[in-house]
Amino acid sequence: MSDPQAPPVEAAAAPATDAGPPGGSGPSSEASPPPHAAPPDDGAPPAAPPAVACPSCGTPTGSGERFCENCGVELTGAAPVAEEPDDPDAAPIELTRRRPPPGPPRAPGVVVDSPDLDLRPTTCGSCSGTIADDGYCTQCGTPAARPRDHFREEPADWVAAVCDKGIRHARNEDAVALAARPEPGSFAVLVVCDGVSSAPASDVASLAAARAARDVLAAPATSPPLTPEELLARSADAANAAATQVASTVQGPNPPSCTFVAALVDRDPDGAGVGTTAVVAWIGDSRAYWFPDAGPPVQLSTDDSWAAEAMAHGLSRAEAEKLPQAHAITRWLGADSPPGPPRTVVVDVSADGWLLVCSDGLWNYCSAPEDLGVLLATTAARVGPSPAPLAEALTAWANEQGGQDNISVALARCGGRPPG
Amino acid sequence: MAEFSAEIYQNEFLPDGGTDVHAIMSITCSGAGAAGEAEGDEAAEIVIVDTSGSMAGDKIVAAQRAAAVAVDQIRDGTWFAIIAGTDGADRAFPYPNAVAPMVRMEPGARAAARQAVSRLVAGGGTAIGSWLRLATQLFSTVPQATQRHAILLTDGKNQSETDEALQAGIRQAKGVFQCDCRGVGADWDVGELRGVAQALLGTVDLIPDPAAMERAFADLMQQAMGRGVAQAQLRVWAPQGAQVLFVRQVSPQVEDLTPRRSDLNALTSAFPTGAWGDETRDYHVAVRLAAKPIGAEQLAARVMLAVRDEVVAQGLVKALWSSDDTLTTRINPAVAHYTGQAELADAIQEGLAAKAAGDEATATTKLGRAVQLAEATGNEEATSRLRKVVDIDDAGTGTVRLKRGVDKLDEMALDTSSTKTTRVKK
Repeated sequence: MSDPQAPPVEAAAAPATDAGPPGGSGPSSEASPPPHAAPPDDGAPPAAPPAVACPSCGTPTGSGERFCENCGVELTGAAPVAEEPDDPDAAPIELTRRRPPPGPPRAPGVVVDSPDLDLRPTTCGSCSGTIADDGYCTQCGTPAARPRDHFREEPADWVAAVCDKGIRHARNEDAVALAARPEPGSFAVLVVCDGVSSAPASDVASLAAARAARDVLAAPATSPPLTPEELLARSADAANAAATQVASTVQGPNPPSCTFVAALVDRDPDGAGVGTTAVVAWIGDSRAYWFPDAGPPVQLSTDDSWAAEAMAHGLSRAEAEKLPQAHAITRWLGADSPPGPPRTVVVDVSADGWLLVCSDGLWNYCSAPEDLGVLLATTAARVGPSPAPLAEALTAWANEQGGQDNISVALARCGGRPPG
Repeated sequence: MAEFSAEIYQNEFLPDGGTDVHAIMSITCSGAGAAGEAEGDEAAEIVIVDTSGSMAGDKIVAAQRAAAVAVDQIRDGTWFAIIAGTDGADRAFPYPNAVAPMVRMEPGARAAARQAVSRLVAGGGTAIGSWLRLATQLFSTVPQATQRHAILLTDGKNQSETDEALQAGIRQAKGVFQCDCRGVGADWDVGELRGVAQALLGTVDLIPDPAAMERAFADLMQQAMGRGVAQAQLRVWAPQGAQVLFVRQVSPQVEDLTPRRSDLNALTSAFPTGAWGDETRDYHVAVRLAAKPIGAEQLAARVMLAVRDEVVAQGLVKALWSSDDTLTTRINPAVAHYTGQAELADAIQEGLAAKAAGDEATATTKLGRAVQLAEATGNEEATSRLRKVVDIDDAGTGTVRLKRGVDKLDEMALDTSSTKTTRVKK
């Protein structure tokens, strides 16, 4: 039994929520900052607070500022910049206390809700007995629940994802990573990565890749700002680098690999008043779909797979998906991946509807957008309009069909009105 | 310092509705040191020599020499005594009028013991139960000895006491000392002596010729002196609702441990395994679980070895329910091998018993099956011993014919060695 070695994430206890500095209606979760320097104790009047270097981006900020001018991170316990003191007789600068290094920087108001997947329960979920050091219950022998086997992210009440091991596979090599601003339809990041099970440590790679991509997409805007397509290409690079790095820690002929699909939802991204758009980028056969309440359902991505190539050559979807090599992917992330940026597509999501990003653990049981749209609608009618229970219900449905693969379901409710 | 390591061999995949999990746990001890060497440990040895009338002549002379050799092997500092066994039991050393019932080995004691041994005379009957009773009594005078072991030699059947008396003697001795039993010649009863050895965590074997006695005793005593871990206990935990079907030692000998079982708590049973030297022993554990749905996982057993109440090695036996035929239909090679070896031991013993009872048809079938298994598991020693008792027409199908005029010794050799197993070929 092994845990995926997830790269350090900003949450130390599960589940943690962090937010960038207030922008719009975002909450602030940080305590008030300590003084930047201890007052000198020789009785002289206190020196002016020194200029500090931002711990995130390194930009020196003028004294007395609480937030970094460049990236917006709150400045607490930041290292003082080595400067010539104005007064050669002034007391030397001292740090008051060490703070843990801050997590990846977030754009203002963006919330991330990533659980700590390394945490292990000490009480058995089946019988309330104690879990022994070997990871099994001392009473009933049930293994301690691995957080990675079933986890959820819910950064806002209109965006959620569920990631599940399924039934047949022994471990969950799917991963999801989300970010969002609280206001419905304003800003969201949905990333899904599906680890290739024939390669070892693909579960480590997929989690690292998904989180790396999310961190790029949720970061403060660069200067000058990038287009969504450029940002997504950059996030795919970061994901690929993270997956490739995992390869350096494992032996074997097949380096750890995974698919990649990311959706970036932004209202009025360039201030051009065009409404909310979603830009989707993908490598492999994890998919994005758009299900407007009024309008035809659409599969946004086109798989990088054998079956998709067959369909491009004229086979019907049903025929293509029955081919023995149907699921062989033609592109992926990882050490031996074919080079090149992801394909992208843009869709207007101003209207009311559901944006779905998922792995083949779901779409294998319901591939055509029409069928998936019906499934989504009937499930939503049963469990309600909120994305988290809907994602759970769709995951449960996939397990009822057999759960032959790991399942990832990420949903964003777009537009202004809840469904129904 | 003794170190233990453990490995589990199993197929953890069960099909839908599957309940039985089998695993082999291989435990290796290294750095055991010598008997009585470890802090807080003291060793005690008793040599029990049959001095009944039938031993007169070559046998008693050989027994004297063998006992002397055994005494030579006993390490200084070890408590020891020598018992001469007839229809009663006498302490040959320390001398009957000595104050101390057992003495520590040192050069003076060794010399005196050798003298005593040279004065052993044959005469009287055989009552092994009484020999065991005296040994139990002697060992109880040295409670500080954490490791207690005896070598017992006999040449005949237990004629001078009832079976109840023998069983009573065995019961008294159980848990007090380990006893390795040897029978010289063809006149003793393998089943009788095997009963003593099994109850007292020891081995039983045939010494075909008196001339081989010295060597046998030297080896036995050397082995005993090489056991620096006084007591180890095998523990098997199974989850609530599970049933431990059996726990067997399968290497170096097949031994069903169930008769030795005691319960530590509601979920854990314990089996004494006696003293350990630098060696490897393999155990076969079988557990029955309630079937769980596909995809579920459960720990079927924790198999542990404990020394002085501290767990020094542990293996986990797992169960995973799967719908994948390629996984669930595999049998782990070690499990298959040892299941075959256990069946081989049973087939030999049952075949010989049937032959002794005059049931030639059953004997032929069982010994034929034994030949088949010996061949399949690569147990060449078993095959060559079987050849002394049957003519093999086709080892693959187990077609054999009982030999006429089989030497009793060859039959007994086959019987006593039936429990010896070969290890799995990797």
